[in-house]
Amino acid sequence: MGNLKLENVSKAFGALTVLHDINLAIEDGKFVVFVGPSGCGKSTLLRIIAGLEDISAGGIEIGGRDVVQLSPAERKIAMVFQSYALYPHMSVRKNLAFGLENLRFKRSEIDARIMEAARMLAIEPYLDRKPRQLSGGQRQRVAIGRAIVRNPDIFLFDEPLSNLDAALRVQTRAEITRLHREIKTTMIYVTHDQVEAMTMADQIVVLNGGRIEQVGSPLELFDNPRNLFVAGFLGSPRMNMLKGKVAAIGEAGVTIDAGFGSPLTAEIDPASTKMGQAVLAGVRPAHFTLADKGLPFIAQYYESLGTETYVYGTLEGQTEQIIIHRTGHFAPGTGERLFITPAAGRMHVFDPETGLALPRAVEQRSVAHEHA
Amino acid sequence: MSTLRLPQIGERALDLVMGIVEAPINGLERLMGRKRMPYLFLAPNLVLFGIFTFLPIAIAVGYAFTGGTELFVSDRPFVGFDNFRQLLECEDYLRPGSCRESLFWTAIWNTLWFVAFNVTATLLVALVTALILNRAIAARGFFRAIFFYPVLLSPVVIGLIWKWFLDRNGLLNALLQMLGVPPEIFLLEVGWSRFFVVVVSVWFHMGFYTLILLAGLQAIPRDLYEAAAIDAASPRRTLLRITLPLLGPNLMVVLILLMIRSVQIFDEAWVLTNGGGPGTANSFIVQYIYQMAFGSDLRLFGLASAASVLMGLVLLALTLVQLRLGRKMES
Repeated sequence: MGNLKLENVSKAFGALTVLHDINLAIEDGKFVVFVGPSGCGKSTLLRIIAGLEDISAGGIEIGGRDVVQLSPAERKIAMVFQSYALYPHMSVRKNLAFGLENLRFKRSEIDARIMEAARMLAIEPYLDRKPRQLSGGQRQRVAIGRAIVRNPDIFLFDEPLSNLDAALRVQTRAEITRLHREIKTTMIYVTHDQVEAMTMADQIVVLNGGRIEQVGSPLELFDNPRNLFVAGFLGSPRMNMLKGKVAAIGEAGVTIDAGFGSPLTAEIDPASTKMGQAVLAGVRPAHFTLADKGLPFIAQYYESLGTETYVYGTLEGQTEQIIIHRTGHFAPGTGERLFITPAAGRMHVFDPETGLALPRAVEQRSVAHEHA
Repeated sequence: MSTLRLPQIGERALDLVMGIVEAPINGLERLMGRKRMPYLFLAPNLVLFGIFTFLPIAIAVGYAFTGGTELFVSDRPFVGFDNFRQLLECEDYLRPGSCRESLFWTAIWNTLWFVAFNVTATLLVALVTALILNRAIAARGFFRAIFFYPVLLSPVVIGLIWKWFLDRNGLLNALLQMLGVPPEIFLLEVGWSRFFVVVVSVWFHMGFYTLILLAGLQAIPRDLYEAAAIDAASPRRTLLRITLPLLGPNLMVVLILLMIRSVQIFDEAWVLTNGGGPGTANSFIVQYIYQMAFGSDLRLFGLASAASVLMGLVLLALTLVQLRLGRKMES
C-alpha cells in the first residue's frame, strides 16, 4: 500500500537544519506535489522518503511499515532523478532490467514487465539503444520506465521535467498525469514550478525554509492561502498586496480602508479582527475589475499575450507595484489613470505581523455549523 | 607611487615583451604568410626533439646493421641482419640456454614474467587504493599525497632505499629477528628477489595509476550510485556492473601505460639487485641492452642497437594501441 506518514521529521546537515518537524500524511494513490523555492528542503524531503538521506529525528512509515532503518531498495519505492541517472553503458532494456535482476526475478517475468512498461511509454523501438543515442524526452521516458517495472508502492519524481524544453515539458506533464490515472499508484513529485504543481497535483505541499506552509488541493491553496508566503508563491503573476486598516466590522464582513476614500469589503470572520488593525489586502491580478470609481491605478506598461494582457503600475502616489489582468486586447497609455476595484468575495486579508490569513466568514460559518 | 600586485606585474611584463616582439613577428608574418606561422613557432621544439629523440632512433637503427666494437659509424663494417640473426637464432625459445644469445632470451623471459606480475599487482593495488580514496574517508588528501609521493623520487633513490631495507643486515631482517623469525637473504635468493623487484615497482608507480583511476571514479555521477541503491544492487554488483564498466576506459589506459613502463624496467631493479642478480634472475631487456653496449668493455653496439630496435617495435605497437584508445575515449 502506498500511503506515507511523516512524523516530526527533522534533518540537519551539521549545524544547518534544513527540515523542521515535518508532519505529513499521504493517502494511497494520490498525486502529491512538493513545491517551494530553491533551498526550501523539498528535494531533501524526497530523498529522505527514498532512503537516500538519513533523518536526524522523527519517523517515516510507508504502507504502515516503519522504514527509517530500511535501505532504499527495501522501501518499495522507485525514483525518477532530475538527471535521469540512466546507466550509460547499458542498453535501455538492461537499464529497465537491472533492478529486477538484482531482486532475482525470473527472466520471463522481467521480460514481461519490460514489454509492458515499454508499451505504456512507447519506448519499444529504443529498447536496444544506449541512453546517449536517445533524445532528452526519450531518456525521460526510460527513467520513468525503470521506475514502473519495479512496481513500487510509491513513485518519487525529483524535478523530472527541468531538463526538457518548454513544449516537451507540457507534453510530458500530461503524460505523467495520464500514467498516474492508469496505474493509480501514489506519486510524490518535487518541482519549483507552480504550474506543474497546479496542473498535476491531487494535493500540493508548499514548503518554505524547511517547513510546510500549507497542504491542500491546488484550488484550496489558490482560493484560501493560509499565509502570505503561499499567497505570493502560487499564482502568476503574484498576488497584489494593498496596505490598509480595518475601518468597520459588520455582520457579513469587514470594511478595510486602503485610502483613496474607497473602502474595500472583505468577507472575513468579524471575530478575527478588531477596529483599526493594520492589514494587508491581497487581490490577484485577475480579480481586479475596472470601474468608474475605486482605487486610482496609474498604468506604467503592459504585456500583451494575445488572449490576455497584464498591466503593470502603482496606486496613485504609491511605489508598490500593482499588476492587473484583462482578457483580450487592452492598451492603456503610460501614465494613464484607471479606477480598479477588487471583485466581490475575492479579497484575501492577512495580518502583516504574523503573515497569517484572517479566516473567511463563510468558512467560519460552515465550521460552526459542523460543530452544532 | 602605487604598489603593484603580482598579477599586474605579470600583465605589464607581458605587455612589455609583446611590445618588443610585435614588430618583428608582424614582419615575419608578412614574409611567410599567416598559414605558415604556426610551424615557425613549433620549429624550436621540433629541432630539440629531432636532435635528442629522432636522430638517436635513426642512429640506433643504423648501428643495428653494423658490427665490430668501434664507436664511430664510419669505422664500423656493415653486417646486414647478422645482429638480428644472432638475437633470434634459437632451437627452442622456451629454453634460453638453447639460444645463440641466451642472455637475451633470459632477459626476455624475465621481462615477460615481470610484466605479467607487475601489471597485475600494480593494477589491483592502484584500483583498490583508488576505490578506498574515492570514499569520503578522513584525511583523503593526505593519503592521496602519501601514495603519490614515491612517484616523485628518482629510481636510483628508490633502489637504494629498498636495498637498505632488504639487505642481509637491513631493516626488514632486524624487524624479523625482533619477532624471532630467522633472517632471510632476500636479495640473494631467486624467488624473494624477484618478488621484491615487483613489490618495489608497485610501491614506486602505484600512486600515478591510482591518480588516473581516482579521476575516473570521481567522474562517475553520484546519482548513478543512488539509482543503483534504489535498484537493490548489492555493493558487489554495484562494483561489477556500475563502477568497473564505467571505469573501463581509464582501466585500459592504465593497463597499456603499465605494460609500456613495465617492459622498460631497469634502473631501480638494477640498483636493488646489484645488476640483475642473483645470477641472471633479475636481468631484464633494457639491462641486457645496456650491458651489451656499455657493460664490462663489451662494446657490442650493433647487438645492443638491434635489441633496442626489437624492443622499440614492441613498445610502438603498445603505444599505437594506447593512442587509439585515447582517441576512442575522447569521442
